[in-house]
Amino acid sequence: MKVLGVSYGYHDASACVAVDGEVRAACAEERETRQKHDANFPAFAIERALADAGLTVADLDEVVFHEDPHAKFSRVLCAAMAPYPRSRSEFVNAMKAWLGRKLWALGSLAGRLDVPLERVSYLGHHFSHAVQAFMGSGFDDAAVLVLDAVGDWACSALYAARYVDGRPVIERVLEVAYPNSLGLVYSAVTAWLGFSPNDSECSTMALAAFGRPIYAEAFREVIPEDPEAGYAVDPAYFNFQRFYQGPVTERFIERFGAARAPGSPLPFACFGEGGAVSEDHQRYADVAASVQLVLEERALGLCATLRARVPSERLCMAGGVALNCVLNARVVREGGFREVFIPPDPGDGGTSVGAALYVSALRAREPVTVARYGPYVGPRVDEGDDLELIEHVKPDHALPYLKPGAERVAGVRWRRARLEPDALAEEVARRLFAGEVVGWFQGRAELGPRALGNRSILARADDVAVATRLSRAVKERAAYRPYALAVAREEADAVLDFGDGPRPDARWMQYAVRVRDEARGRVRCGLHVDGTTRAQVCGADDNPGLHAVLTAFGRLSGTAALINTSFNPSGYPIVATTVEALAMFARTDMAALAVNGSLVWKERGA
Amino acid sequence: MSGLIERLTVRLTVRFLWRSPAAVAEAVRGFQATEADGVWHLRRGMRAVRDPKQRAEMFTHSLEEESHADEFAAIYPAYARAPFAARHYERRDLYPAGDDAGWRAMAYVNVGEDDATARFKLLADALEDGPLRDSLRRIVKDEEGHVHLTQAMLLRMGATASEAAAAQRDVRLARAWDAWLRAGKRAVNAVAVALLSAAYWLAGPFVAGAARARLRRRVVAHDNNQLKRL
Repeated sequence: MKVLGVSYGYHDASACVAVDGEVRAACAEERETRQKHDANFPAFAIERALADAGLTVADLDEVVFHEDPHAKFSRVLCAAMAPYPRSRSEFVNAMKAWLGRKLWALGSLAGRLDVPLERVSYLGHHFSHAVQAFMGSGFDDAAVLVLDAVGDWACSALYAARYVDGRPVIERVLEVAYPNSLGLVYSAVTAWLGFSPNDSECSTMALAAFGRPIYAEAFREVIPEDPEAGYAVDPAYFNFQRFYQGPVTERFIERFGAARAPGSPLPFACFGEGGAVSEDHQRYADVAASVQLVLEERALGLCATLRARVPSERLCMAGGVALNCVLNARVVREGGFREVFIPPDPGDGGTSVGAALYVSALRAREPVTVARYGPYVGPRVDEGDDLELIEHVKPDHALPYLKPGAERVAGVRWRRARLEPDALAEEVARRLFAGEVVGWFQGRAELGPRALGNRSILARADDVAVATRLSRAVKERAAYRPYALAVAREEADAVLDFGDGPRPDARWMQYAVRVRDEARGRVRCGLHVDGTTRAQVCGADDNPGLHAVLTAFGRLSGTAALINTSFNPSGYPIVATTVEALAMFARTDMAALAVNGSLVWKERGA
Repeated sequence: MSGLIERLTVRLTVRFLWRSPAAVAEAVRGFQATEADGVWHLRRGMRAVRDPKQRAEMFTHSLEEESHADEFAAIYPAYARAPFAARHYERRDLYPAGDDAGWRAMAYVNVGEDDATARFKLLADALEDGPLRDSLRRIVKDEEGHVHLTQAMLLRMGATASEAAAAQRDVRLARAWDAWLRAGKRAVNAVAVALLSAAYWLAGPFVAGAARARLRRRVVAHDNNQLKRL
């Protein structure tokens, strides 16, 4: 059973090809179009996923859309009409989008792919998330928690999942209805903090570590507990319907103070020197800490509901809120489950995976027992001809176009060599040990927003000067945002403190994990101020290439741990092609770039 | 004559439509998107070019265009009250295959740069001092060189002079058609706004109460968690 799952229309459009319950290929549209969180019809992602799976549209048995457009339309209509007579423009804008395009998504999908409408089916949005999490886990049964901004009508959803005769059976326990959305509250606070909602929630989470949760009581009133739904959201504080015009109300401002101006400096720093912290700066951090704390409390409340109603010791989580690694760590510690699984792309980009997996497993010839999949199912790249162009590039011509923080040095030449895997790992480790920032572009791209060693930028984690250069002249990253740490599995327990409770599956940077006191000096730039890191514990069987670099670096430095940050210029998606990787290499202080078996480096004074 | 009309249009736009910083910010977003679109087409076009020398030229050129996109994104906060978020377009592979895909992509870039240079120059003249004017002046200097460079590259990439001229004419026609469609969409949009507004005012008193009641529900009553077809 060959199935194409498709997600588009709000953000993070994507496509996934699954065959008999196995993910063959997946691709986010943003990687192909270079538009971060691209919501457009994923024509390029579909083409790419089909090509990577070795299929064409004609081979497909079914196409599955990730959400129910009719249910979603009814929610949008209600939300636009409820504030009558103060919502004319919101109603008009919503109806233009829906009546003009979105309501006909299924027909449009069939038409653009040229498949009969009878071969197009659809699932509820949160159901797609639930399948994606459960079928990715490899568990026989599980409780499933989906925490999102909003899907069709639901904002949070709880399920009981199991296999019956090798077919997934996922039953609803509870769905919390719009506008009671933990994700939207968090995004609204993100916007109030001057960050981009639906993109920079990670900045809110990062800022929270600098604050004290002194507004937690206020947020407990904004998001009170509710006997029926677990929690509710007081609508007096938010303008969800006019999110991009200003998502919080005057009442919110009265309670928490004026919003931060976008782009105004924030003096907090994870490493190195920060600036002077004013009362307002501290207020922003305190509000972030408070909303983070209450988010965690409400999620734990939903976990308690699940434990009471689903007879399973395992939990699967999905939805955009499941990208919050601090929350995830707390769910592992205090959620009351023996095992927790979060798929590699728990956000909306992963719903195409859920949609495709479900139908392909449901209709597979043989029963599907384990449909586990990993993050490395994205597009593969053959660097072939692309690297030949570097013999002809004159780096001096790119000098006027370097990123603002990059060092302008004339007379640099680009070199390249092909190396065997072991030699490549040794050479990259040597360069990292010497303080270079290295691009690491290998094999198939990761699914989801985390670079897990195939589209990564690596740097040593113990040197503030190196990390500062990485932030200023490569990533253009704010100092309050911590870097994630990749650690070789063999050394994980020496660097990370997993505590006594259930141990998180830390392969995919989904949990904030405490760093041992004795290791902090050796990884100080991969830490947040609260002493945690978004850890990637990497074994040779997870990612052999990255593991080889980590162990080679460990032999040189004594600690097999590196900063691992995503390979993307600020404001753009993670690079998808060799040319894009070379462009970032050209415009930044990245000293070397490993593309599959080839190493490219800058040579000064040649 | 057309130059005079264009100059006048730009001056009127700046004088009346760009009075609010938010309108300027939207224009800046548009410029950023145009430059980023050029980068995408250049790099997409590179796939069809085999000669590494020409690929290197296209690559270097794309770095410059990318830096222009970055510059517009950087000045956006001077005019906006929200963080910069790039405008998204539905991308189209204009020249997906064939030996001529590379130079046709270059013709597209060349025409885009020619138009952008003319427009940016007029805008820089019409604007008052500020970050946008500074950026436009800097970028115009680059773009003027680019128009000649991309014209030369177009010919070096295998197009004859007449093929190049024909391709540029095609691009201009396609852009004019797009502009016509956009104008048509604006007209349809105006009608749609009027009709939907009328529907809102007429239906609102009857349905708003039901909508409010629905939004007061804390949990979703109907179980919609199954596979469905139309």
